[in-house]
Amino acid sequence: MSETNEKNLQANLKFLIETIDVANVLTEPITKSIENLLRISAAAMNSEEASVLIRDGDEGDLRFLSAIGKVADKLLNLKVPAGKGIAGFVLSSGQPMAVADVGEEIAFYDEVDKTTGYSTQTILATPLRHNGEIIGVLEYVNRVGEPPFESFTPAEMDNAAVFAEAISTLVNAYESAKLLRKLDTKTLNEEFKTEYAEVRRWLATLRDSAEHREMLDLAVLLREVASRGVGERQLCRELLESILRFSDTKTETSLLSF
Amino acid sequence: MSAANDSEPNPNFSNFFQIDDDWKTLTGKGVSVAVIDSGIDADHPNLQGKIKESVEAQRNDKRIVFEPSTSGDSAGHGTACAGIIARIAPEAEIYSIKVLGAGGLGDGQAFLAGLEYAIKKRYRVINLSLGTTKPQFFAPLHDLLDRAYQSGCIVVAAANNLPQPSFPSVFSSSLISVIKSAETDPYNFGFHYGEIIELTAPGVNVRTAWLGNGYRNLTGNSFACPHIVGIIALLLESCPDLTPFQVKTALYAIARKNQEKQAVENREKTSNLPKM
Repeated sequence: MSETNEKNLQANLKFLIETIDVANVLTEPITKSIENLLRISAAAMNSEEASVLIRDGDEGDLRFLSAIGKVADKLLNLKVPAGKGIAGFVLSSGQPMAVADVGEEIAFYDEVDKTTGYSTQTILATPLRHNGEIIGVLEYVNRVGEPPFESFTPAEMDNAAVFAEAISTLVNAYESAKLLRKLDTKTLNEEFKTEYAEVRRWLATLRDSAEHREMLDLAVLLREVASRGVGERQLCRELLESILRFSDTKTETSLLSF
Repeated sequence: MSAANDSEPNPNFSNFFQIDDDWKTLTGKGVSVAVIDSGIDADHPNLQGKIKESVEAQRNDKRIVFEPSTSGDSAGHGTACAGIIARIAPEAEIYSIKVLGAGGLGDGQAFLAGLEYAIKKRYRVINLSLGTTKPQFFAPLHDLLDRAYQSGCIVVAAANNLPQPSFPSVFSSSLISVIKSAETDPYNFGFHYGEIIELTAPGVNVRTAWLGNGYRNLTGNSFACPHIVGIIALLLESCPDLTPFQVKTALYAIARKNQEKQAVENREKTSNLPKM
């Protein structure tokens, strides 16, 4: 093996190992926690299946992030197109709802059941929210035991909203971890020429607080400046320090002074 | 906030504000009702001939416009709401404004545009079984609801049973907000004076129209809201010039009557029990 090939192989291996490691370290504990919480909440709801669907892209599509129950493995990463079915409605409207007899007619969005071979009969779906944004949907399907299943009660609907609060926090953490993972994957890849403008555009689409987004955007900008060379770094540091000095001396009593 | 019956300003309200039951025999004839939702399946057996117009939100450059809609209902929810309205007010004129399930439109944005469209068209009653918790929509929604109030449009919104308040159902002064109850009789709705969400109406296992000419048993505040919309359509047929304030007052008077009737029935039940 030539020296160049060996170097390439080494670099690629390093990239691969680091990427895998980062992926596991960041997201796996979170998805595990979501799954545990799903299991505990499903037991409290006397439900057989529970799942978390998260946004997939900007058009309102959903995909299963986590699921427990008989067909959990088949559900993972399955997609639900925008506006389809009960989950699609809950995502776009923000209103929780329960349907007692889903399987009664053919009009139910049954692609998920077709794929998994499961028969959804009664369902409760409630939105997952973070900072006022709907980031996904929490669903409980069917009851423990044999059909016919009792419909979900209003009290259970209220309980589901409480579980959704806890799960939303984890889903948001998962989204942040996934974001960092993507950023790291891009950075670790030596072949990749970082397009900072593209990264900034991508950050702008993030569903998080405006303040958080702005800070991330600023961080990317700094990184771009830093990559331009020693002179640019030096100038940037001086500029930033002078902004801080200006900020320290500025009186905060008047909103109108500049 | 706790139930506020004790703090009502006038416990004898219904003694001097009497509403007879004639409105219960009406059909909502000639009253325009807008359903801002996921569209309506106009071919459903329960809705045939009742949907006067269907429009849907579309993006035109940076603005949202409403074009005639032929895509029906993608989620079933709008059809379910229209089914409930049509059951209570079978001759009401229902207008479908589709803002959900239209691809590419941001959450809330189309919903706000739909509300503005309905107000511009001056539909008398507007069914809003949707909500948002996004703070940036607080001010524009508030403004729109004030415009609705001043234009005489009666906006009825479903409450959101979430730990945090959702808009617009918390704007109790300029709209009528509804939460579900386990009651089954649509006429037997309640009014919680002093609560943020004032009206209660059937919303548990409500059987109504669904996609594919079907029916579903549905639970949610979304399905309590159209019950009150249907009732308002009957009241407006009876007195077409009622303002939003007057409609709310009438709802309050009827709910008080319902409560008093219930109290009498409960007393009778108790007095009929064998003495211990």
